[in-house]
Amino acid sequence: MKNKLAVLASAALAITLAGCSGGNGPAGDSGSGANTSTEINIWTLASANPAKDAAWDKLVKDFETANPDITVKTDSYSTDQLKESLRLATGTPSFPDAYMYWEGPGLGGELVAAGASMDITKYYDQYKWNDRFNDTVLANVTRYGGHHGVPWTIQGEGLWYNKALFKQAGITSEPKTYDELVAAADKLKAAGVTPFATAGTVNWYIMRLLDPLIETKCGAAMMDKLATTAEAWDKQTCVTEAFTELKKWGDNYFNDGYMALDTDSATDLFFRGEAAMVMEGAWFGGDVKEKGPDMMNDVGLFSFPTGTGRLYGFGEGFYVGANSTKADATVKFLDFITSAPSQKEFSGLWGAISVNKEVPPDSSNPLNAGWESIFNQATGMYLNNDQAMSLANVTEFWRIQNSVLTGDIAPDQAGAAFQQFIEANK
Amino acid sequence: MPARASTRRSRHYGVHRHPVRKSLPYLLPAGLLYAVFLLYPMVASVGLSFQKWTGFRTAEPEFVGLDNYVRLFTSDPVFFRAALNSVVWVVLSLAVPMVLSFLLALALNRQMVGRNLFRSVIYIPAVFASITVAAMWKWIYNPQFGLVNQTLRSIGLGSWAQQWLGDPKIAFFSIFVASIWQGVGFNMVLFLAGLQQVPQELVEAATIDGAGTWQRLIAVTLPALRPTVVVVIILTIISSLKVFDLVMGMTTGGPAQSSQVLALWSYQQSFSSHAFGMGGAVATVLLIISLALVVPYLVWALRGEEEN
Repeated sequence: MKNKLAVLASAALAITLAGCSGGNGPAGDSGSGANTSTEINIWTLASANPAKDAAWDKLVKDFETANPDITVKTDSYSTDQLKESLRLATGTPSFPDAYMYWEGPGLGGELVAAGASMDITKYYDQYKWNDRFNDTVLANVTRYGGHHGVPWTIQGEGLWYNKALFKQAGITSEPKTYDELVAAADKLKAAGVTPFATAGTVNWYIMRLLDPLIETKCGAAMMDKLATTAEAWDKQTCVTEAFTELKKWGDNYFNDGYMALDTDSATDLFFRGEAAMVMEGAWFGGDVKEKGPDMMNDVGLFSFPTGTGRLYGFGEGFYVGANSTKADATVKFLDFITSAPSQKEFSGLWGAISVNKEVPPDSSNPLNAGWESIFNQATGMYLNNDQAMSLANVTEFWRIQNSVLTGDIAPDQAGAAFQQFIEANK
Repeated sequence: MPARASTRRSRHYGVHRHPVRKSLPYLLPAGLLYAVFLLYPMVASVGLSFQKWTGFRTAEPEFVGLDNYVRLFTSDPVFFRAALNSVVWVVLSLAVPMVLSFLLALALNRQMVGRNLFRSVIYIPAVFASITVAAMWKWIYNPQFGLVNQTLRSIGLGSWAQQWLGDPKIAFFSIFVASIWQGVGFNMVLFLAGLQQVPQELVEAATIDGAGTWQRLIAVTLPALRPTVVVVIILTIISSLKVFDLVMGMTTGGPAQSSQVLALWSYQQSFSSHAFGMGGAVATVLLIISLALVVPYLVWALRGEEEN
């Protein structure tokens, strides 16, 4: 059966590879000695942003100029294509020398567990990367034991708010505790303003509120244990408290009809001044900037006040293929693209904050300054649960989250329902 | 003598002696395509349902016997909802759009002004891709700016405005309405074609015998339409059981899996959760339900044809 599956998998991979976009041409295209050059193959996520594509091409070109004995072949995939292709190629000669992927036990960790990623601790020592990245960034690559991957982006998520609506509701300062946040939501509601815009057709958008609520009610250590199922969800009263809070937000503070909306509709409410807060990532600053200077002045940002001091978010990195025979050349390239000069040259393009701690935040968008202080104050990071949990668990987690909101599951039954699923699917 | 000569000729050419062997070269290309692209994936999918496989090339698929089925029937919180929804979809599709199509076909089979225009307008949604229909109806159902709620509000029925796709109690049925809109035209055309085949002399004879409209419909038209009805019912059952894109495009099975159906759940298990064994098990259950619904009806209908 495995052989048959392998035939199917190979055929599918061949089709996928044939259809993938991007690429910088075959080895030797750079004209720098095709016979002697080492070609490394990098798989990345396809970008819809021409500026990012151009920046990547420039990075590759600059690297090849500085290292004429190495050529870099890039294959770009859509999100689902990348996930499927990596699965199908794991353990085959088609597997890339490095692949871009999310960091966390759920997605990145699954590939690490499947033996797709190389432990590159020796390269961290060789290139002194432990000095290049700060502890929050490093935590994402050391969580599996050893060092898996080189950090590429770090994305924080926080509460963006409309200053005018806060003022209209009599809120004079950004909430510093969860109780203050709820009090602010009550004031907004009393002033006739929708406190929080969200959308239910994409489950992860509501999850962005539930995750911080669990962190708030359960604390940092328990949050991590729950996410990795090291602790049972049905044994913790804090889980019930978090789901109870979620229900409270759904009943009182969410926009009308949120369950049928998509993310664009929810952020539109925010931009039109019909909702006071959204839970969005650092990339949202670019969207705000596009709306013009008035919007820039009207929008503020604060980290969800969980009380643990940790920042909510996720990271992406480049993992070195476990069986790559060109690891030295590959790592040299990864060192180049995460170096301070490379990161400074394209500051802000892949995130408000660079993974390289020597690189200051992008100054082209004043809103990024807010992220600098949030990152600096953070005592660590907790991941979006769709990156921390296994895919099957996430699907059920979302069903329970939405069922609590629709009233089909009582908040005090949510933990038990989830644990029952976890036990049955171990 | 001529008959004997004809028989001798037939034997000479072997037409009647080896009909299967003679037809094999003609059947082979289609048979091969069928085997490679339909039969093999189907068998492989059933085989997967007895294994645990994460999709990793390096991971050995593990034979787990009936474990996936046991999990489906005992601990999958979504499976029964998806199965029920799939069956309800079939029943509703047979009850509502099929009857509607038939009535429209009867109405548009008469001589009337603008008949072709009406036929075209009703048929047009059938040529749209389902994902386009889903996108369109998603806007129609938008709770704030959608056509349905805006219309209700503008005529003073704002209290009837709903979260058509956001309320787990009605989301599934809201999608079904979009399916009626899309599917009714196709069946109407099939019925119209069938109505053209109804012998006019029988209708006229029934009229002369004093049969009224209703009696002509029951005693003449419907029996004559039997082959068409068989085709429409089978096509409806099959297309209903494999409904996927409308649900995917409008709710992705939500909210809280309330509009989930078997085809989509199989896909999500396989390609979102990468539980290919579970996905295969759901697909196999869907296959069994399909066969259980279609085969007996087909056998019954064909037997009736032969008797007639």
